[in-house]
Amino acid sequence: MLPTEPSMRGLPVSSKGTDTILVDLLRKMNRNMELISRKLDRLIEIQRFPGGQMLRPGVSLPEDMPLDVTTLLSLPDHLRKSALALATLREATATDLSKETGRVRAVESDYLNQLVSMGLVKKKRKGRDVYFYVET
Amino acid sequence: MGKTLAFHSYKGGTGKTSLVVNLGAIYAKQGLNVCMLDFDFRAPSLNVLFKGRPEFWLNDYLEDKCSVIDTLVDQSDRFKLPGKLWVGFANPSLEALKDIMSKDRKWEVKALTKTLAGKKEILQEKQIDYLIYDTSPGAQYSSINALAGADLVSLVMKADEFDLEGTKELAKGVYEALGRKSGIVLNKIPLEQVAAAGGKEKFGRQIEEEVGLPLVGMIPCMCELMAFGGKSIYTIDKPDHTFSRSVGEIAETLKKM
Repeated sequence: MLPTEPSMRGLPVSSKGTDTILVDLLRKMNRNMELISRKLDRLIEIQRFPGGQMLRPGVSLPEDMPLDVTTLLSLPDHLRKSALALATLREATATDLSKETGRVRAVESDYLNQLVSMGLVKKKRKGRDVYFYVET
Repeated sequence: MGKTLAFHSYKGGTGKTSLVVNLGAIYAKQGLNVCMLDFDFRAPSLNVLFKGRPEFWLNDYLEDKCSVIDTLVDQSDRFKLPGKLWVGFANPSLEALKDIMSKDRKWEVKALTKTLAGKKEILQEKQIDYLIYDTSPGAQYSSINALAGADLVSLVMKADEFDLEGTKELAKGVYEALGRKSGIVLNKIPLEQVAAAGGKEKFGRQIEEEVGLPLVGMIPCMCELMAFGGKSIYTIDKPDHTFSRSVGEIAETLKKM
């Protein structure tokens, strides 16, 4: 049985029966959250070790995952273009890289930061500029 | 800025090195500046044909022992070519072959960045029109590094089932993934195979459909080439030979791609 209308609005609940229903409901929600959490962990685990699958931005790789050609081949096209251009320049700002790829600076900056969050590229600040580089 | 070509194959023995050398010679004969790099570090061969013993090998460049320009040897005077013909050699010693096989992925990252940077330096410093990579067959690190730096990848293959199946995999898994413009060079093709397919054009179209890449050129099988492999550059010594003419057609097609 579902809670009554007043309890759903957060009004004081006095009845013992309604309390039990709420506790059950919270327990059920908790169980579902744990299930979702476990599934997400599993997804992250799969993407962490590609094994031929496409890497996804925002997912960190193990720290020693190098940006070699096998990693490059598993990147999506838009990120591969940035990574290859950076491998050519070795160290570059988003502006430098946008000249190399012909894409706008803001887009290049976004892609480079995705590569940073994936652990494939590093960045450092030099004065007011942010430089991205491939660690060799 | 010049164009960078890479010659690759699924299997060994498809004739990449002969093609690279003869193609480079054709461009240099036309007065263009050419640089050939032996990126077949597991079985170097350009040193045999050019009898190269350079001060520095390409291996030395990848190990930070010299600049990429230091590895280049000028061969244009030897062959009396109007254009420049530079060659970078891979070290054929057993020690170097063992060393290249022992490299880890971290080293390969450096090799990739050095390959890409080296290409740019050569094109600019030597005013090169065509930079040509000869690579190891299959999915070797050094080969894919070279493919990553190439503007145009030519997949050299014989038309047997072994080559066909592997080539299809490479086209899909490597060339397409790298986003490089690619084409097929059919080499050592028996005339009987062409006749059975209903002629050169039909045969070419069949292979194009099967592999999913455009045909750059076709070279018939010629036994005498086996006898002169590594001894003579046909496009210089025998420019009217069928092989030289076939390579000449490939050279023109590649210019337009």
